[in-house]
Amino acid sequence: MAEELHTRKVLEPLGWILQLLTGLLLAILITFHFFETHLIAHDALAFENVIARLTDPAHKVMYGLLLASVSFHAFNGLRAILLDTEFGARNTKAINILIVLVILGAFIYGLGLLFTF
Amino acid sequence: MENKDKSNMGRDVIFRIKRFDGEKSYWSDFVVPAQKGMTVLEGLYYIKGTYDGSLSFRASCRMGICGSCAMKINDKPRLACETQILQLNSSKIKIEPLDNFRVLKDLITDFEGFFAKHEAVKPYLIRKDDNYAEPVELIQKPEELHAYYDFTLCIKCGACFSVCPAAATRDDYLGPAAMAAAYRFNIDTRDEGRDERMFMVCSDVGVWRCHFAAECSEVCPKNIEPAKAIQKLRFQAAVHMIKKALKRW
Repeated sequence: MAEELHTRKVLEPLGWILQLLTGLLLAILITFHFFETHLIAHDALAFENVIARLTDPAHKVMYGLLLASVSFHAFNGLRAILLDTEFGARNTKAINILIVLVILGAFIYGLGLLFTF
Repeated sequence: MENKDKSNMGRDVIFRIKRFDGEKSYWSDFVVPAQKGMTVLEGLYYIKGTYDGSLSFRASCRMGICGSCAMKINDKPRLACETQILQLNSSKIKIEPLDNFRVLKDLITDFEGFFAKHEAVKPYLIRKDDNYAEPVELIQKPEELHAYYDFTLCIKCGACFSVCPAAATRDDYLGPAAMAAAYRFNIDTRDEGRDERMFMVCSDVGVWRCHFAAECSEVCPKNIEPAKAIQKLRFQAAVHMIKKALKRW
């Protein structure tokens, strides 16, 4: 049974650890984001203020980190859900590859938008 | 007499039992004259002896040791021998076979896969110096015993497996009982077989499928907390696999 079922992958523990870390990071970054956009000033969401934030290098780094965390956390969660099904069990490799591509795609696309400012 | 607690007095209780005859499922109702201290298992024996000899259920020790009589009683997996009818405070008791197991007949489910998964994690001491001709005493401190003792109390009743959402969606998932057993032996200081056990625990059907719903700990009749064991085993598995990967590089 062990030989039949065994599929050791370092992706699983790394995925789990990164899911925990990105979860923590998201809690911090999203709290900061809401604090900055809703609690500090009334006009924080005015067009010129949004542009000012997005052109600031420190904000760019923060939003880049937020984007990376969200992309990984969301799609790795989706991967876990899919792998919990019989369909996922039959197509583990395809799902892993697809999810990595989707994570990279979402991150690169978001980064592209971020750096237009 | 008037001051006597009403819950201690005998009364008729309806047993609504989910039946399965190999082809179709149906419900049967039986009236059981319940007395103080009477268990659900005794009620089932009463039904079998009085109304319907074909009613099938599994039972053995009648004292919460063997784990044979686990079934869903009023929507929660419990041991029928440890559940007193009047303590359920219900005039109608719903009894069903455990979820996540194939039903063979009435309340009897197929445990073959469950035990195969248990066996797959090697739930026994593995020693490099096994010598049955000249056995040696293996010394262990009380605190080392206490670290895993609770997990030795598992009676393999399958209650944890029946409520596990991961086991419900993946037939090949090891399940809480098997992984709690793996953890129990992994942290036993006399054991030297962690690597062998991790082979299975780290696999696609092992710890990574658990999402910590913790229902297994909720329903365990021995309060073993398999969910806690799995979280600790998951950490062990992560360290083990990353170390292995780094060694390969």
